Amino acid sequence: MGWWPEMRSLYRGLVASVSTLLFAISPASALTVVGDDGVALTLSKPATRVVTLLPSLAEVVCDLGACDRLVGIDRYTNWPPETANVAVVGGGLDPQLEAILRLRPDLIVMAPSARVIARLRDLGLPVLALEPKRMADLARTYRALGEALGIAEADARFTQLQSDLGVLKRSVDASWLGARVYFEVSDELYAAGPDSFVGELLTSLGFGNAISSGLGPFPKISPEWVVRANPDVLVVSEQTVGRLTQRPGWSGMPAIAEKQVCAMPQAQADALVRPGPRLVSGAQWLVRCINQLKRS
Amino acid sequence: MNARNTTSAVSVALTLLLAAGALTCLGLMVGDGTLRWPWGLTSDPITAEIIWQIRAPRSIGAWAAGALLGLAGAIAQAIFRNPLADPYLLGSSSGAALAVAIALALASWLGADVSGAAFWGGFMAFGLTGAAFTGALLAVILTVTLAGGVAQGTRLLLGGVVVGVVLGALTSFLTFIAPNVLLNMQGFMLGSTALLNWSAVGRLLVVGAICMAIAATFAKPLDALQLGERTARSLGIPLSQVNAIYILLLATVTGAAVAHTGLIAFVGLAAPHVVRAWLPCQHRALLLLSSLTGGVLLLGADALARLIFSPMELPTGLLTALLGGGYLLWRMGKVGRLS
Amino acid sequence: MSTLRGNREILRVEDVSVTLGAGRRRGMSTGNRVLQRVNLTIEAGSWTAIVGPNGAGKTTLLRACGNLLDRRDDREGRIDLMGQSLDHWSGRALAQSVAWLGTAEIGADGDLSALSAWDVVALGRLPHQRWWPSTGALTTDDAAVVQDVMMQTHTWQLRDKPLLEMSSGERQRVHVARALAVRAPLVLMDEPLLNLDPPHQAEWIQLVRAMAAEGQTIISVLHELNAALYADNIVVLVKGRVTHAGRVDSPDTRAAITAAFSNRIQIRSLDNHWVALPRV
Repeated sequence: MGWWPEMRSLYRGLVASVSTLLFAISPASALTVVGDDGVALTLSKPATRVVTLLPSLAEVVCDLGACDRLVGIDRYTNWPPETANVAVVGGGLDPQLEAILRLRPDLIVMAPSARVIARLRDLGLPVLALEPKRMADLARTYRALGEALGIAEADARFTQLQSDLGVLKRSVDASWLGARVYFEVSDELYAAGPDSFVGELLTSLGFGNAISSGLGPFPKISPEWVVRANPDVLVVSEQTVGRLTQRPGWSGMPAIAEKQVCAMPQAQADALVRPGPRLVSGAQWLVRCINQLKRS
Repeated sequence: MNARNTTSAVSVALTLLLAAGALTCLGLMVGDGTLRWPWGLTSDPITAEIIWQIRAPRSIGAWAAGALLGLAGAIAQAIFRNPLADPYLLGSSSGAALAVAIALALASWLGADVSGAAFWGGFMAFGLTGAAFTGALLAVILTVTLAGGVAQGTRLLLGGVVVGVVLGALTSFLTFIAPNVLLNMQGFMLGSTALLNWSAVGRLLVVGAICMAIAATFAKPLDALQLGERTARSLGIPLSQVNAIYILLLATVTGAAVAHTGLIAFVGLAAPHVVRAWLPCQHRALLLLSSLTGGVLLLGADALARLIFSPMELPTGLLTALLGGGYLLWRMGKVGRLS
Repeated sequence: MSTLRGNREILRVEDVSVTLGAGRRRGMSTGNRVLQRVNLTIEAGSWTAIVGPNGAGKTTLLRACGNLLDRRDDREGRIDLMGQSLDHWSGRALAQSVAWLGTAEIGADGDLSALSAWDVVALGRLPHQRWWPSTGALTTDDAAVVQDVMMQTHTWQLRDKPLLEMSSGERQRVHVARALAVRAPLVLMDEPLLNLDPPHQAEWIQLVRAMAAEGQTIISVLHELNAALYADNIVVLVKGRVTHAGRVDSPDTRAAITAAFSNRIQIRSLDNHWVALPRV
């Protein structure tokens, strides 16, 4: 039959074009990321418009090189400088819902402990709950954000931070290794225990902690307890350092008498206390400061 | 007498409803830094979403919560025959706060272990509201138990004070040992209408309607109560039963409001005063009008909270405290006695 | 047992002792024993005045008669109203049969600003109304009673005035009207003449005597002896015990009253009537 070869090639062409069409319009494999609260978020593609409602999360996003994808930040985010141009959408606990909606984000990252997270999900927004509180949480945050942003090198980046920390440990002055550090996070005598991020940093750097473990991450310590614990080094904020001797019993403390005190500027305090990419720069400052102190 | 009061009450009620309508429109216009009626809603899906999913439930929810608080305030002032009574005086606010603090602390402790987090993730949505409501009810039950029953007003008040102080201390202790709970608690204590969605509105309206209906049917005994407990008994009022019903209503209504908006100050206290200054009336009308007034007050405060520093918003509870306190101060100065 | 003038017995108090305050513990009453084995009979259609020095237990006795003691108070003995023990009366029936006017309510207790005189007196019709569910409007019968009573007590002109704006005397008369609006066969009034000036005291006395003549029974606690001496019967109460109960025109009654007040008073006859004066 004369028309069969034409029908066959027409048929093949039809199949080819339909398949191509189907392939083109089918969705790429969807991303599913699980947050700290166990709730999974499914994205059709890596996020390009990101709102962060926690300073540490903004820092991680920028550290992963996705700073240009930030369309909204919370009012407490203050680093890196590139975030100064990003729209502020309120606080982590009281974000402005309307402002967020208007930004049309395809990813919102925030702490799971905020009550408003349910409201945001309720509005149909894509929310990923992450709250890095310790080193292990930070590792998970890097991995989760890497998946959500489609950045494959996220894990590698975190491993890099860890190894930088290891290198830093070797630069600690031998006389200060094992020294017991009292690290204060707030003027109200909230100290960093070994179970906190800062505490873990101190341990990785080879320092001891004046606070024993088991008291929680940020126990409120009585001044008398610190005197009895007799730490080797005091690390306090630079606003508090002038008032230390006014605390009952502190003027006689050996660490104060021998001026073994490191006064933290706010930026370093943020870097050390916030679990984020600045852990290395913060640790660098700390090691340099301690190395300079004279060990008695 | 009767007839004249009824027509006045009806006209006041209508005025309050109109005010609520007007303020709701205002509430729909406020929020993005400008004040304009959002024409052409269907054209921009984002704007439509904002109007219908954020501003609308928030405004109506604020009205509903305010109405519940106004009703609770009127009930409290009637049962205790005290113009300074507010919905929280049987310890319901402290109970709700403690329950929320416990829930937050548990969620954060258990959330640290990620495998437990899945349960608590869903918990945050319903759990905190449910916890606050349960806490409020349990605290009132505790107060009634301490007071040895519902019959004696002074014992109930004292019990309420004790429960409030003790539970408040426990809450402070909890925020002390779990400081990460503190920030969330501050938001709760100050009160906010930001979290109101349509299902919250539904719950508030249902609870409000049922409780209002029950309260209105027992309003006559409340009038008799104003003559004193013994006289009310002599007129045949079964004091224990009436007190029990009203305390249950008070706990339910206050618990529902607190569960959704946190501790909003002054609305419950001020609403009955506003009504009485306008139109002295018996309790059947007072309960309804106080409720409508409370609704207008909180709705207005919500709109104002979003308007003053738009697009930033103040916590609504802050505004009600300032406005309510200011109003009461003005009344004191004007009248020379607290009416 | 003392019997007082009248036709039928409406109230019988048998061996009643009242202990205020602590209630019962292990079968024994603790607390303050205020009434000691009181026995009394009141006949219908009479006006009885209870007199005695301060702290004698007069108010407690009156409250006991209306079953209006506090929950923590303990009553021993038996009180029969119209032949049936008080404990067996239903709340509503008792409210319709006994009207109460106490002293504490005269203060600024409660939200009095909202209630007008008419509203307060109308509350006296509560025992006869279906207040649950509360419909609000008074029946025409009830309204007629309220108006009647307000006319009788000369409070009709105050009907729209809020209670808070009234003088204490006006308020007192409104409360009396409220008690009368119940139209109960037995009316108990505790210090009903407080805050009333002599003209209004006279009105009250006339009103009560008229009520007694029409068959209502009134028991009032009075410390104004001169008003009490207008009553039909006097009960003298000293330290929780009845020292005398009898007609006002009996010399024993007058002697008992004088003794109760430690002989610091003298009772004289004036214009066919008895008057009590302090003995200086």
